[in-house]
Amino acid sequence: MAEDDSEWVVESIVGYLGSPEWVIPVTDFMENKCTVFDDEDENKLSYTEIHQQYKNLVEKLLENYMQDVGINEQQFLDACTSPFAKSKTLQSVFQPVLATDDFQIFRSLMVQKNMELQLQALSVIKERNGALPECLTAGADVMTELQDQEMKILQEVLRKSKEEYDEGIARRLLLEKEVGSTSSSCSDKPVAESREAQNTTSAPSQRSNTAKAKAEGKGDRSHSNGHHAPLVNGNTTTELNLVNSKPAKKQESKTAAPAGGDKKSAAKSSSTSKPTPDCGGNVVESKVLPAVRAPVKSGEPSASLSPGTKEQSSSPTAAEAWLEEAHREAGFSKPYTELSVSQQEQLQQRAAYLRQQRDKLHALKKEQQKPKQVTAPEEAPPTTTTTPEISAEERKKLQKRKHLADKLKEEVIKK
Amino acid sequence: MGEAQKGLLSVIEKLKGSTEQEVRIVLLGLDNAGKTTLLKSLASEDVNTITPTQGFNIKSVASHGMKLNVWDIGGQRKIRTFWKKYLDNTDLLIYVIDSADKKRFEETGLELSELIDEDTLKGVPVLIFANKQDLATASSASEIAEGLNLHTYRDREWQIQACSAVSGEGVQDGMNWICNNIVNKKK
Repeated sequence: MAEDDSEWVVESIVGYLGSPEWVIPVTDFMENKCTVFDDEDENKLSYTEIHQQYKNLVEKLLENYMQDVGINEQQFLDACTSPFAKSKTLQSVFQPVLATDDFQIFRSLMVQKNMELQLQALSVIKERNGALPECLTAGADVMTELQDQEMKILQEVLRKSKEEYDEGIARRLLLEKEVGSTSSSCSDKPVAESREAQNTTSAPSQRSNTAKAKAEGKGDRSHSNGHHAPLVNGNTTTELNLVNSKPAKKQESKTAAPAGGDKKSAAKSSSTSKPTPDCGGNVVESKVLPAVRAPVKSGEPSASLSPGTKEQSSSPTAAEAWLEEAHREAGFSKPYTELSVSQQEQLQQRAAYLRQQRDKLHALKKEQQKPKQVTAPEEAPPTTTTTPEISAEERKKLQKRKHLADKLKEEVIKK
Repeated sequence: MGEAQKGLLSVIEKLKGSTEQEVRIVLLGLDNAGKTTLLKSLASEDVNTITPTQGFNIKSVASHGMKLNVWDIGGQRKIRTFWKKYLDNTDLLIYVIDSADKKRFEETGLELSELIDEDTLKGVPVLIFANKQDLATASSASEIAEGLNLHTYRDREWQIQACSAVSGEGVQDGMNWICNNIVNKKK
């Protein structure tokens, strides 16, 4: 009798747990609250609150049911613990009830519901759009692509900062070397200055090189180039100046001379082309100083201002080119310092010859430039005509212009 | 009505009908005491990737033929107000102390005494883990017991156990005490 009773109760309970009266409110509750449930190991504090709400809901539902059917808690319990209710098929039906007492069961139900809803949402999107948007597909994520890019940028930055650090170390070593080698001479300071000046000219270009280089191999190459260039440069110029420092000095005086001759053009050219020739001029000049061991500081400021420095600025690179050319012509493949004495002499002779040729060219250019300098003020605006050094040609032109302007004035005023 | 609700809950509790005896244990203590590390150590899980707990963790450990459901709730000050919600039906309280953090002994003592005064924890046995004994500056279990006035607890079983959740040393001793105590109490 009792068994029949419990069987009837179990069937009734199972029926109730499958009816809309139970299913709808419970499902509604789960669907509304499941969004915060993820499958992280740690539980959120809000889970407990939701679990409590769920307990209240289920208790209310079951109480109403038991009242309606007319069974008491003991009957309910007997029915649920009967072998019939413990069959596997019914276990899943009882899960939502058990979830009231067991937080872990409740949690897994909610996580499962959340995933179901997400999958439903995905299928809805798929139906509407035909395909899932890229951001919702598994695997190749946009995020990972972005992360990849970020990693690339980070690696690039790290590489660059390392290069800059290496460069700094190399520069310091170089500086120490230079100071050490010329410490016996009276002009330590200008050397250091010239080194700095050279660095300022070489460093930015190097940096821009490395910045441009995206491939690592390319970056490395430009990096090594940047390092070797100033080294060779310094060596060659000092060596050359050791051998024939006279022409270099002569040049200086030459370039310094026209500077005072035409103030206007000098000012103009210095304002437009100051930065690069300035450094270049310094480099060559101070290079000469330790080699000759004669302080020729007086020529420094004016020389750097003179228009002649434009040509001179090319001398370090030119000297390098000459030596290289000499190298090639002599058929030497070894670096300069590794050559035998006779070979060095040969090279120096060759360099001296090239230098003479260059001086000749330089002089020629200067002569060509002189008439240019005379005609230069022509381009200047008429407001500068107050200066006394105006050629006769210029004065004539100005008078013509004034005449023209007067005529125009007359015509305008008359009409 | 309240009685009826309680009855219904107990009905549902019996529904699970497992032969295993289930024990609800709540693991509390200040932040950085090592609660989660202890929990993972109990569950034989990796203890190297633990971050401050913002919510709570639950692990079920089988021991001495019992199923121990251990609830580890975050110990940060703002979370401590939620502790009360987890104390219902608790069979045992584990309180974890960072034995090397002497500056907070007073704070941890206050929190413990508040818990002891909770109605829901009336008569509930307390196991105190004097954790982080692997650190050189750690105070001994007896020193801490004295500082916490544990000897004044007359209304419940209590035990203090020195341990290191990281190395696992002393943890099993504590669990043995729990099992013995629960078995005695439930019988």
